Amino acid sequence: MSSEIETMSSEMKQETRPDMIVCENVDKWFGDFQALKGVTATIAEQEVVVVLGPSGSGKSTWIRCINRLEAHQRGTIVVDGVELTNDLRNIEKIRSEVGMVFQQFNLFPHLTVLDNVTLAPKWVRKMPKADAETKAQELLEMVGIPEQASKFPGQLSGGQQQRVAIARALAMEPKIMLFDEPTSALDPEMIKEVLDVMKDLALGGMTMMVVTHEMGFAREVADRIIFMESGEIVEVGTPEHFFTDPNEDRTKLFLSQIL
Amino acid sequence: MDEMKLPSPAKAPETPKRSTGEWVKKNLFSNVPNTVLTIVFGFLALYSIKGLLGFILSGERRWAAVATNMRLLMAQGYPANQFIRVWFTLGCLMVLTGVSLAIWRSNGVLKTKRVGTWVLNLGVGAAIFASLAPISANARGGWLIATVALLFLGCLLKIGSDKSMLPIDVPTIWFSFGCLAVLVFSLWTVPYGHYAFTDGELIAESGRTVAMSTKLPFTVMLLLLVGAFLLAGVARDLVQIPKAKIVLSVLWLLSPFVLNWIVLRDPDFDYGRVFSTDIPIGLLFIGFGFLILYPLTNPSIGEKGRLVAIALLMFAAFNWIAAFFGIYPMLQKVRISFLLLALAALLAPNFAADNRTRLRFVSFWAGFIIVLHWLITAINSPSTLDLQGPTYLGGFSLTLFVAVLTLLLSFPLGVLLALGRTSSMPIARVLCTVYIESVRGVPLITILFFFSNILPLFLPAGMEIAELAAIVTGYTLFSAAYLAENVRGGLQSVMRGQYEAADAIGLTTSQRTGFIVIPQALRVSIPPLVGQAIGVFKETSLVAIVGAFDILRIAAYVVPAQTDFLGVKREGLLLISAIYFLVAFSMSKYSQKLEERVGLGER
Repeated sequence: MSSEIETMSSEMKQETRPDMIVCENVDKWFGDFQALKGVTATIAEQEVVVVLGPSGSGKSTWIRCINRLEAHQRGTIVVDGVELTNDLRNIEKIRSEVGMVFQQFNLFPHLTVLDNVTLAPKWVRKMPKADAETKAQELLEMVGIPEQASKFPGQLSGGQQQRVAIARALAMEPKIMLFDEPTSALDPEMIKEVLDVMKDLALGGMTMMVVTHEMGFAREVADRIIFMESGEIVEVGTPEHFFTDPNEDRTKLFLSQIL
Repeated sequence: MDEMKLPSPAKAPETPKRSTGEWVKKNLFSNVPNTVLTIVFGFLALYSIKGLLGFILSGERRWAAVATNMRLLMAQGYPANQFIRVWFTLGCLMVLTGVSLAIWRSNGVLKTKRVGTWVLNLGVGAAIFASLAPISANARGGWLIATVALLFLGCLLKIGSDKSMLPIDVPTIWFSFGCLAVLVFSLWTVPYGHYAFTDGELIAESGRTVAMSTKLPFTVMLLLLVGAFLLAGVARDLVQIPKAKIVLSVLWLLSPFVLNWIVLRDPDFDYGRVFSTDIPIGLLFIGFGFLILYPLTNPSIGEKGRLVAIALLMFAAFNWIAAFFGIYPMLQKVRISFLLLALAALLAPNFAADNRTRLRFVSFWAGFIIVLHWLITAINSPSTLDLQGPTYLGGFSLTLFVAVLTLLLSFPLGVLLALGRTSSMPIARVLCTVYIESVRGVPLITILFFFSNILPLFLPAGMEIAELAAIVTGYTLFSAAYLAENVRGGLQSVMRGQYEAADAIGLTTSQRTGFIVIPQALRVSIPPLVGQAIGVFKETSLVAIVGAFDILRIAAYVVPAQTDFLGVKREGLLLISAIYFLVAFSMSKYSQKLEERVGLGER
């Protein structure tokens, strides 16, 4: 029964949807070292893309370029129709539509969980305090930890902290969610709770770009898998194609090492 | 060991309590180097204490010099017939303290065991005193009895608390009140002696208790403190705590200025002028708040509002330059208000939100203008006090005034300098770095000298700067540079991820700095900041170089010059060191409490 629903939803997603992220020939250097080489990819609305690859392959660099935490030197990145340049207004516009979840959670330790989630809506969207707090409680319920609202991040477990981070990113109602290795810093018991939240998000129709090593998640939830190595995209494909019958030799080598 | 029972799963095994003897053996005499250190430093400590006690209690000491001059040391030139103002000031501070203690309720509780430890330590101190002090045999016997009594009481308390026989845990606040009450009671009963300068005549009666003019006010102070605490405790349930805290914080911020410039200095307001000129000017600037600041906080105007602010800033700067060169006169009050209006306009777009926030911003501006104009009018009005010297403050009150004002003013300036030095704008970076490095390369005395002696030469005719203002300005600029470096250290400790997370959720740079970076940076900087504060307090003694009479100068130069006490220096200096130590130690202790509260060192 659930597999039928999944095939239905993936079929629905294959209808023509506007492109959310368009990257063309993106190059990025750190000094003399080229971290991204001619990265070209398109991510459509409501698509869930998982980026896989060995460490140092440029996955995190690419995802951080999309919301300008790193600046690319050549090529174009267009997010929801807005090109990513040095223009501050473009950057602010893009950042208001893109939410990011970090490997190290990066919660604000001096604020309570509720304050962490309501900070941006109150001061960036100028939402009145009561509305922001109601919304924050709803989001915390959605990620499964409504009772932790008045605690400080230091009092929560890793999985709970990451879920708060997801709620904080969702509070700004982004159109795209970026995940930079969200479960890599978690204990194995806590990985599942975070992945469940991400699965719910994906099923709810969020455009997601996820850098992860969780192959199970990739197989289950991804619409497409992008495999990167040494700064360039080696292969792109659906999960079934990617895991059972990849084209490139490098892909096969990578899979043989991790599976 | 085989017979040791395994602890039940619910409770962890109790660590065996060690007796004092075991503690001494383990920590002081555990191995040869430890033992040697203990013996050597023990002897050194006891020798120093013996010397100190010998000095303090020697028959040659003339403590009368200090006792007679207490009023001089505390409030140097203040006219005696208006001394009630000093007590009024202290009374206001007591009331504020009492209310603050009740509102910021600290639920600290002193365990009986801890009190027992203190009593034991007191007993040990009494034993040392009894054995080392050069006192008569009778007195020694009395002190020995006191020692035994204290040690006995201490052991009783400790054992009693262990066996839960005395479950009396006293709240820390009431314990402190109790200690203060004992001190005040001793003023009424213990014959410290009555020493005073009355109408040029020296009174020295060693057998009786202190004068009524000392006993009574201190008793009133204590009653005010405890009374305010009790009343606020009762009223606590009737008010909104966050609002009360804000009101109290504002009152505390205002207190040094209002108490000094209005109460202590007692300005003689020219009411004719007040109604004809000052009030209209005040209303004008309140009006500017509504006309200029309110529209600027409109969210739809946004960043363009800052252009208006820049224009205002240039206008304000031009006013100052014009006044400096005498191009056209503008009242000092008006110049200051225009500058502050420009700065408020610069900040206004940050407060663009719903109408309630905007009105709050403008009403805050209105209140600020009212208080500011009141204070400025007060400073510019002549004082009604009949002063002998140039300033109305002296002694310990001057030390406190300079220290508190310097800390209040240099702290925000230091934070701004630190932010400027680490900012991405090259101009800000260069200016702040040049300022910090050049100020840090110059001794404080030089800066004080410059501001009080050289600067008035540069000012145009008619413009003058009061002596106290010059001192505080120079000291503030000096202290801000050092504070900036401390805060910069804290800024560097904030992780990059915090910046990235703040950027990712869309906070502007100023929002990120104010909400995320500064709170975390200041948390980490608490130890060096408090160290700086202690330094500022102690270095106020340097103002003696520029002619102010702070407590050290009085004790070291003024008292020994009096005909009755020629050459009596060391007693006064001993008292000063005790006072400095008390204040500095309290600041240190408070810093520890602050670090605990902020959770430093726990992450």
